Order: sequence, then C-alpha cells, then structure tokens
Amino acid sequence: MKDLELNELWKEYDRKLEESRVLNLQSWAVNRQTFEWMQTQKVRSRLRPMGVFKGWAVFLGGIWVLFLGLLAVGDHGRHGWFTFSITILFLFNVYAIIAYLRQMALIRQIDYTDHILQTQQQLAALQASTLRTTRILFLQAPFYSTWFWSGRLIAGNALAFWAIAVPVVGLLSLGALWLYRNISLANADKKWFRLLFNGIEWSPILRAMEYLKEIDEFRDR
Amino acid sequence: MIFLFIRRIIILDMQETFLQQIEANKGIIFKISRSFCRSKADQEDLRQEILLRLWKGLPRYDPAYVFTTWMYRVALNVAISWQRQAKKSSGTIPFTETHEHAAEGEFPLEDIHSPTYLLQKHVAALKELEKALMLLYFEEKSYREIAEIMGITETNVATKVSRIKEKLKQAILNDKHWVYERS
Repeated sequence: MKDLELNELWKEYDRKLEESRVLNLQSWAVNRQTFEWMQTQKVRSRLRPMGVFKGWAVFLGGIWVLFLGLLAVGDHGRHGWFTFSITILFLFNVYAIIAYLRQMALIRQIDYTDHILQTQQQLAALQASTLRTTRILFLQAPFYSTWFWSGRLIAGNALAFWAIAVPVVGLLSLGALWLYRNISLANADKKWFRLLFNGIEWSPILRAMEYLKEIDEFRDR
Repeated sequence: MIFLFIRRIIILDMQETFLQQIEANKGIIFKISRSFCRSKADQEDLRQEILLRLWKGLPRYDPAYVFTTWMYRVALNVAISWQRQAKKSSGTIPFTETHEHAAEGEFPLEDIHSPTYLLQKHVAALKELEKALMLLYFEEKSYREIAEIMGITETNVATKVSRIKEKLKQAILNDKHWVYERS
C-alpha cells in the first residue's frame, strides 16, 4: 500500500458521505432547531464535570472540619496537646477543602478553545491534582496519635508512653514523610501505589495521571 | 429599551453568522463525531455538545485566526474529552470487532470489507491524540496549521504523521476483513 493510498481512501470516504447525503441530513434547519433549543433550555453540558470526587470530598471534609473546630474551641485550651493536635488536623483539612474548591473552580473554567494538548493537559492535571492534595494530607497522620498526650503523661515518665506512644508517632511521621515524598506520577506503576489507591474513586485520577504521561510522550517524541 | 433592542439585534446577527459558519463546515463536526463515537445516538449527542461548546466559546474567538482552525480545536477538544469520559464509564472504545456487525448496513459506506471502512475503523481505534492529529492530516491541513491546533511543533507533526500512517497501513493490511491485496 503506497503512502498516497490512505489519503485517497479518506477522499473516497468524503465522496461517499456526500453521495449518501448523510451530511445533508444535518441540515440548516436541524442546526437552527438545536441552536434555538440550546438558547431556550439553558442546556447543560453532557460532559460530566470531573469534580464529582472533589465535591464529595468537600462535603464530607466540611463536616469533619466542623467537628474538629467544635472540639478545639470547646476545649478552651484546657488540654494543651489535645488543642494543639486538633488545631493542626483542623488546618490540614481546611487546606484540603480550599484546594479542592479551587480545583473545582478551575475545572469549570477549562478553555476548550485552546491548543488541544494544552487543554487536555490542564484537564488531566486538575484531575490528578487530587493526588497532590492527598499526599499533603498524609502529613497529618502523626497528629492523630498525639491528641491524648498530656504534660502529666510526659512528666510521669511512664514506660507505656515512651515504649508505645513515642514509637507510634515516630513510625507515623516516617511513613507520612515517605508517602509525601513518593506519591507521584513517577511511582504510579509501583505495586504499593496501586494497592494504596485501589478503588473505584481513584481510578479516574490514576487514568488522568497515565494520560498526563501520554500527553508528555506525544509532545516530546 | 433601545439598549435591549440593539443587544437583541447584535445577538441575532452573531447567531446568524455563527450558524452560517457551522453550516459551511458541518462536515468537520460530522466526521469528528463519527471517528470518536460508534453509535448514532452518541454521535448525535457529541455533535450537540460540540455545537454547545462552539457557541459558548465564541466570545473567545479571535478573528485574526481562520474560523475552521478554531472550530477544529474546540471540536477535537470536546471529542477527546467525550471519548475519555466514555472510556471511564464503560471501559470500552468505539469501533471494536463486536460493533462491526451492528455497523453493517448502517449506511451505504459501511461495507466492513471496504478499504474506506477499514480506514475508518483503524483511525477510530487510534489513541485520542493520534486520532485528532490524523483527522487533521486527512483533512489536508498544513503541518503548520496542525501544529497550531494541536500545540506541538511542525517537526513533531511530520514525524508523528509518518509514524501513525505506517501504523495504520499495517493495521489495515493485517485486518481479517482486508481482502484486496492479500496473497
């Protein structure tokens, strides 16, 4: 098959389309009807916004933040470690909510009139950005094991405190830091990564990451 | 009152111009929707979505550029996003073997042994970005225009076109329905 033949085949396809009058079925009248319908019905795009996962995260996160805020305020600073830990957790979750809201707003502002690679990259990057927020949220893990600490517990030099509580915080800190450093596009193929993000809610995000790789390859090669 | 009247006139004029442009280039929308969706219902939905996005994006259209270039950008961006969304929900891609019999007889050019059908089939099976590139190539857009629409360099366009053409040729020649030059 010569190079030219593919182009010839495509022209043949064009000719057949004309002959079969398929294009004529998409008539001026049909376009006008569709257009008028679009104008009057305030048509919504069929392309589902990718922010469904983020929307749920904001809703559930909002409830969690409210709960944490009430705990922190309700304690009136009586228990230093408790207030400190809860406040840190509160701040992490407020950060996540703001990040998700910002990403949802950006998704809605995607410009379909831009270069194809640029638009597609923006769409995929915004979807994959959930992972960046998640990676930061892992850093809050150690504070889930410090809320019950107290000055008396530390001063009491209790064996249980130094033998259990401190190593647990240490391990959680190391784990959180390791995840923070390693959750990235480069490790998306690793087994631990797939296990960690194994679930229906994560699959669109992982696909978006793969698509980002594909876009980069398309641009570079 | 006068302001509203003038505004209405401007909008009607915009609509008229927009519809004329769409009418003149409806083949673009049709061929893109056919390459990105298999079922007629999906094609119709995609065409409507493209029309909607074109109209919404019209205020951002820069008349310094050719209308069709802008139209290709919007239509292909919407079609790619549409297909990616369809993949997410169904895990399928259009033009698979199972669709062939359903497609048979849809309209005259759908003979599954015809070279034009095989080209359609294998173009539809390409990855979204490759497909967008080849649609532009087959529509005889210059490498410069393709580069402008896709957002890559002209050299990159040339390399990719040549590589994908080879891939398409091999896919067609190895297709079980290819009966023309099989020895």
